[in-house]
Amino acid sequence: MYADLIQFFTTNWLGQAIVILAQCLAVTVPLLVAVAYMTYVDRKVWASIQLRRGPNVVGPFGLLQPFADGLKLVLKETIVPSSANGILFIVAPMITFMTALVAWAVVPFDDGWVIADINVGILYLFAISSLGVYGIIIAGWASNSKYAFLGALRSAAQMVSYEVSIGFVLVTVMLCVGSLNLSDVVLAQSGWFWSWFWLPLLPMFVIFFVSALAETNRTPFDLPMSEAELVAGFHTEYSAMTFGLFFLGEYANMILLSAMGAVLFLGGWMSPVPYAPFTLVPGVVWFALKIAFLLFVFSWTKGTLPRYRYDQLMRLGWKVFLPVSLGWLVLTAAVLQFGGWVPKP
Amino acid sequence: MPKVKIDGVEIEVPAGITVLQACELAGVEIPRFCYHERLSIAGNCRMCLVEVKPGPPKPQASCALPVADKQEIFTKTPVVQKARNGVMEFLLINHPLDCPICDQGGECDLQDQAMAYGFDRSRYHENKRAVPDKELGPLVKTSMNRCIHCTRCIRFATEVAGVEELGATGRGESMEVTTYVEHALSTELAGNLVDLCPVGALTSKPYAFEARSWELTKTESIDVLDGLGSNIRIDTRGAQVMRVLPRLNDDVNEEWISDKTRHAIDGLRHQRLDRPYVRKAGKLIEATWDEAFGAITTKLKGMDGAKIAAIAGDQCDAESMVALKDLMTALGSPNIDCRQDGAKLDGPRGSYIFNAGVHGIDSADAILLIGSNPRTESPVLNARIRKRYLHGRCAIASIGPVADLTYPVERLGAGPATLRELTDGKLGFFEKLKAAKNPLIIVGMGAVAREDGAAVLAMARELAEKLNAVREDWNGFAVLHTTAARVGGLDLGLVPGEGGRDVAGILAGCEKGEIGAVYLLAADEIDTKRLGKAFVIYQGHHGDAGAHRADVILPGAAYTEKPGTYVNTEGRVQLGRRAGYPPGDAREDWAILRALSERLGKTLSYDTLAQVRSRLVSVNKVFAAIDQQVPGAWGPFGKAGTTTDAAFVSAVANFYMTCPISRASRTMADCMASRAHLMAAE
Amino acid sequence: MASLDRTARAFLLSELVAGFALTLKYMFKPKVTVNYPYEKGPLSPRFRGEHALRRYPNGEERCIACKLCEAICPAQAITIEAEPRDDGSRRTTRYDIDMTKCIYCGFCQEACPVDAIVEGPNFEFSTESREELMYNKDKLLANGDRWESLISANLQSDAAYR
Repeated sequence: MYADLIQFFTTNWLGQAIVILAQCLAVTVPLLVAVAYMTYVDRKVWASIQLRRGPNVVGPFGLLQPFADGLKLVLKETIVPSSANGILFIVAPMITFMTALVAWAVVPFDDGWVIADINVGILYLFAISSLGVYGIIIAGWASNSKYAFLGALRSAAQMVSYEVSIGFVLVTVMLCVGSLNLSDVVLAQSGWFWSWFWLPLLPMFVIFFVSALAETNRTPFDLPMSEAELVAGFHTEYSAMTFGLFFLGEYANMILLSAMGAVLFLGGWMSPVPYAPFTLVPGVVWFALKIAFLLFVFSWTKGTLPRYRYDQLMRLGWKVFLPVSLGWLVLTAAVLQFGGWVPKP
Repeated sequence: MPKVKIDGVEIEVPAGITVLQACELAGVEIPRFCYHERLSIAGNCRMCLVEVKPGPPKPQASCALPVADKQEIFTKTPVVQKARNGVMEFLLINHPLDCPICDQGGECDLQDQAMAYGFDRSRYHENKRAVPDKELGPLVKTSMNRCIHCTRCIRFATEVAGVEELGATGRGESMEVTTYVEHALSTELAGNLVDLCPVGALTSKPYAFEARSWELTKTESIDVLDGLGSNIRIDTRGAQVMRVLPRLNDDVNEEWISDKTRHAIDGLRHQRLDRPYVRKAGKLIEATWDEAFGAITTKLKGMDGAKIAAIAGDQCDAESMVALKDLMTALGSPNIDCRQDGAKLDGPRGSYIFNAGVHGIDSADAILLIGSNPRTESPVLNARIRKRYLHGRCAIASIGPVADLTYPVERLGAGPATLRELTDGKLGFFEKLKAAKNPLIIVGMGAVAREDGAAVLAMARELAEKLNAVREDWNGFAVLHTTAARVGGLDLGLVPGEGGRDVAGILAGCEKGEIGAVYLLAADEIDTKRLGKAFVIYQGHHGDAGAHRADVILPGAAYTEKPGTYVNTEGRVQLGRRAGYPPGDAREDWAILRALSERLGKTLSYDTLAQVRSRLVSVNKVFAAIDQQVPGAWGPFGKAGTTTDAAFVSAVANFYMTCPISRASRTMADCMASRAHLMAAE
Repeated sequence: MASLDRTARAFLLSELVAGFALTLKYMFKPKVTVNYPYEKGPLSPRFRGEHALRRYPNGEERCIACKLCEAICPAQAITIEAEPRDDGSRRTTRYDIDMTKCIYCGFCQEACPVDAIVEGPNFEFSTESREELMYNKDKLLANGDRWESLISANLQSDAAYR
């Protein structure tokens, strides 16, 4: 009986499809719930920093607020501007949303808990997160509005700029691990929490985090949506659920980059102390906690820092992060080479 | 002329005037309550105190003190100020603090002067005086607690209105203004009491609590409810006419207006025609302008001009009348008339206007009324005659209806026969007229609006010429019209043309079927039953007699809703201004005629009001002389002939209801009921 | 030395860290905002909120249609029509306030000689349609009845300073 079932799910094409679908749902549904609560946490954190209360009316402590907002977005009318390119206008948010979701295929939630444990996981992540910019560019162009267009241009330029330094950060980590498989990256960090990569590669971790802010258009790099100049940037013309998809995609991206940060620098599902009782806690919980910490820093940053000027943003990307990350890459390689610490494949 | 010094400024003033008047000439305002230019001097409010040197060392009432040469008058000294403050405090002792519910609030002399001379709190802690309110009829509301005993109302009723019905009882604090026995005032000028009262003791009953003075838009206009053309101010709020007040014009109405002028305006809210109607299957059906014009065009196209007739009403503006006249000419119809009552007036201008002018009454020294009751036909003019009578040495006689004219009148007789006797010098009054320097013969509509009107008119002319009443410096032949449009209509020649029919002829023609279509321009005073089977177009503002009979109704504007030119009984051209817009689809009358003319294919040559007005001037030059009385040409008029024995009757039997507006007015109905009650009581 | 110090600080992100520390500290401070729908801030007795027309204790409406509020209203939000009531007293037949025009300056209650029109303590009167903000006499009188106890207490507490 069980053997039949196992056979069905492992060899039959239908069974495999069901398994894949279930895996996707198992990742996507918690992710979307996380996105919803991320908006809630965002607002609560900003409110606390500003000595306000934040959402507290819908449900206990305002916990149902994200669902109320979601319901509102679903029920509102989707307006397609008459001068917009209708098809692209609708497709753009879908691209953004989907690229934010598909990246999760390679993220290891625990030892072996990964949908596609491919050997080029890091490259895949890097490639997918670069695709996200298409959604934004298309949205800006299809809206046929100057604000959306300028917002999209800014966003594209910004994402391209910071992807360069993120790339070098990833290369540095790859050098230290000797593999492109994300599970290998995590396993390479086993031990006490100070043996995770955040400490030895601290400057790279900082660069990674700051670049992640820029990648996700978050404060202080939220120039594409700087409302004082561009109304709402590339999604100026979007309303209702099309806007909702952008919103979901953006937050999903944030969570994805936090997950990347957790995997690359904070030891993935590893417990900070390699002994019981800490090791008894399931790895996925540690992983979630690490993501949550990084997301909190996202919110905290937004509550703390003012917005950059655009030229400052570019200067930081090209004149600071690029040379520093490049230098650190060379330094790391040199240390590994001459220290004899080159990882064995 | 005495020279006086007022506040240090020397000024020469006419002898015999009072110190108050002298101050006014010098441009110094003196506060007053009891003093009024047109009433006798009472000197009882003491508000006008000034210091005068030489004189007793105390402030003196300037309204009752004649100026003398080398007088020095001080109006702004601390003594004067303190005296006036004291007077104001005394006045306010018993005056209730009810300005918020008082209709005088905002236009109250006491309020205004309390701002200048009042004290912000009272030192009087006893109870205030309480006086029962008096019943003064349907127009004047009383609140006698507010009375400050200036006695202006008493003096007005006694002197100007000539009804000695108001008076004061008691002394000091127990003084009360009252009618002795509670009854409505039997005068047609009661509304003026409200204007005169410096406080809120007498306020307008129909207007009670309706609006505040500051909410109203003020438009200076001309009254059309009688022939005098009183100068009025129309106060509107939004689209509604809230009240009518007199405007000062010494040549016409001084500062009085009749109750009808003042209070018939609620008729403007009732029975209005606000959309066109077309009669279909015996019923008037609401229609559009297009349908209405269409119905007229179908009927009139191809109709012989001689079968079309037009009658202009009594309150039409000259603009609409000239448009009607031009349209009828274009249609080839000579059948046009503006004399609904059939008055036989169509001679030179001197034969149908009040040549002497209303102000001429002041210099007349013998007055003969022929077939007229000026008290009902024009109460303000009657007050003018009474003023002349009070001035003394003026004999007044009447041939015609018996009436209490508020001054003694020697009644010579009832009809044309008496006039014949007088003209032939057989009556004693002829000598008085002959001896008079400025004899004035007032011919009423009652004398000329009859079959033998032309003969009566000829007799009156004969009398005037015999008396030498028509000279370079004086024209004592005066026709007293009862309607506002008549003189304008005659000036524009709205009388039958060559071979045309007058009103009687038109009606007779209708009955016989010789007239196919009749255009009634707000004409309601004809016998509409005699219109027979004729196609009747009624253009006007009220659903009155004419509209009931009409086959097509074109809604026009009432006098408050259009800029119009009116010529009063003395031939004075005056401009009425628009105070609001006509209701619904109704339009200005001349514009309706202009639009209709286009549909009939006889487009009139004017498109704007200015063009219509220049057309008026081209028809008759008097229309260029706005607000001036242009003397009328004198020449033979009337037609000698036999007269009947029928007595002259006044053209206005019922003062309160003479036109569609006053007939629609509830206030006028109340006044009528009240007057009937009063008559019954007597 | 100073430049070294500055560079070190820049590289060690000391300003950022200081800033983040400050906001973190603020996160745990007590909130200054009131928990609005459940708790409300104190209102002055002179607070100028939603309008109300008051009545005398015997139920007679106070307004005497003097129209002073209409005259003083700088936004011309008040429309009054009046006529004598059957008992001869001066009363309004129409008392409308266009709440969308009103600027809540309080001149109407200053002008009112009988304390009839007042701006009460209610500030929660948002509506779902614009029409509902055209208040008529019935609505204003109902407001007066509903808020009378608070309004009269406020007027009393402020009476000494008027």
